[in-house]
Amino acid sequence: MHIMEGFLPSPWWQIWWIISLPIMIYGIYKVTKLTKKMPEIKPLLALVGAFVFVISALKLPSLVAGSSSHPTGTGFAAVLFGPAITGAISVIVLVFQALLLAHGGITTLGANLFSMGIAGPAIGFFIWWAFKKARINPAIGVFAATAMADLMTYIITAFQLGLAFPDNGSVFTAFAKFFGIYATTQIPLAIAEGLLAVLLFSFLTKYKGSILQKLGILKIPTSNKTDEVNP
Amino acid sequence: MSHPDLYAEVDKSAYTNALAKSSPVTKTFFALSALLISVSASYFDMPGVISFIVPVVVFTICTSLTLGLAKVKAHLYLDLFTYPILMLILSCIFIALFFGSGTPVIEIPLHWATWTIFKSGISMSVNTFFRVAGALSCLFFLVLTTSITDLCVLLRRIRIPQAMVEMSMLIYRYIFLFLEISAKMSLAQKLRLKRSGWLSSIRSLAMLTGSLFIRTLDQGERTLVAMNARGYDGEMHILDDFPSARKTALVGIVLFDVLLIALVLLTKTSGVVL
Repeated sequence: MHIMEGFLPSPWWQIWWIISLPIMIYGIYKVTKLTKKMPEIKPLLALVGAFVFVISALKLPSLVAGSSSHPTGTGFAAVLFGPAITGAISVIVLVFQALLLAHGGITTLGANLFSMGIAGPAIGFFIWWAFKKARINPAIGVFAATAMADLMTYIITAFQLGLAFPDNGSVFTAFAKFFGIYATTQIPLAIAEGLLAVLLFSFLTKYKGSILQKLGILKIPTSNKTDEVNP
Repeated sequence: MSHPDLYAEVDKSAYTNALAKSSPVTKTFFALSALLISVSASYFDMPGVISFIVPVVVFTICTSLTLGLAKVKAHLYLDLFTYPILMLILSCIFIALFFGSGTPVIEIPLHWATWTIFKSGISMSVNTFFRVAGALSCLFFLVLTTSITDLCVLLRRIRIPQAMVEMSMLIYRYIFLFLEISAKMSLAQKLRLKRSGWLSSIRSLAMLTGSLFIRTLDQGERTLVAMNARGYDGEMHILDDFPSARKTALVGIVLFDVLLIALVLLTKTSGVVL
């Protein structure tokens, strides 16, 4: 993911912008509404944003394709806040990554937002929701949701690159080539990211259960140690 | 240079360069318009033809403005370019070797298939190289001359919702907080032999991330308390005192954009035919 600035030719970057823009506006609307209702949620939202920034800045060069492999962090954000708000946070994170790290870009923001901020979190959230409905252990749900969100992000990126750089006139073979390269680094990374998210989730449940309950993620009563931190 | 150092340097440059005191409206308008025009020029790209005139012109102008007018240190500019250009070269080689259709340049018989390199693949890859290099120079001009705080004020002026602008400022602050705390924790773990084995190093990483998350969360809550104590009413007030844009500068940029668009249209059919 993170297609570099200028890597997508016209008209592809415009097309992805047009697709992402309405969803982006909806996300911003949701953030405005949520922060109006609970101003105390702002630091948590900003924190998840910074967290996504820091862990997705750990990039491994994936050798090719104007893009790089790394954990995305947006799956976890989607579990916490839902896909719409994650989309809005991703906009900010992607702009900062483009500006501070030359990682992603302004013209490719639409495409990157669609893969990392919209499609990935949407799949992650759906899996999390399905696992919750099926009453499966939340740890497994968090793992599946974040790992799949990560993979989905890369599938979409490979698809976007395949559309912009068709191979022999075929989008599919181009997609297969791009994805083949990501897959080698990305499948182990997706698993690692899933494990990390599970550990984080159990940490949060243990120490910050109150805020998770407020967000409607946990229905179970948490331990008495809430809000007492001694790492 | 490692990543955290690099973006601390970029941040510093945004506040200390020779253009730091000039209007962010002018700088942002210039950088974004040049970026959009130069990337949009790729609309006229033809398979088998290398067209590089517009991106090279944009690259030259932006680089000379960054180094000459804004007086950004050349080694910082180079450092910033190193990693993206390296990735870009690898990507372009990949596209040149494995993509394209139409007229082949060379056909290499392999045991199971024939590997063909196409003219259109090569032109696609070279055009991409020039396009990205031009686009990066515009982006770097903006980043190296304009601070994030100024950009946030600008965002508020163009009526981006208040909540988003506030979130941007908080995220910007937390990024640096996160990096500082994680460097300290990592040092503490190293002193306590975190890498004594594979399993313990994995566990150390998980512990670091977990406690980092909670630590910063706590910090966030304390920040909110501090803000409340100082009369936070759900709106962060930023001092909006940057100089207003000079009319001559704005007219100059519009003129430049018109010339650039004219150049795009004039050169749309010219280029090196492979």
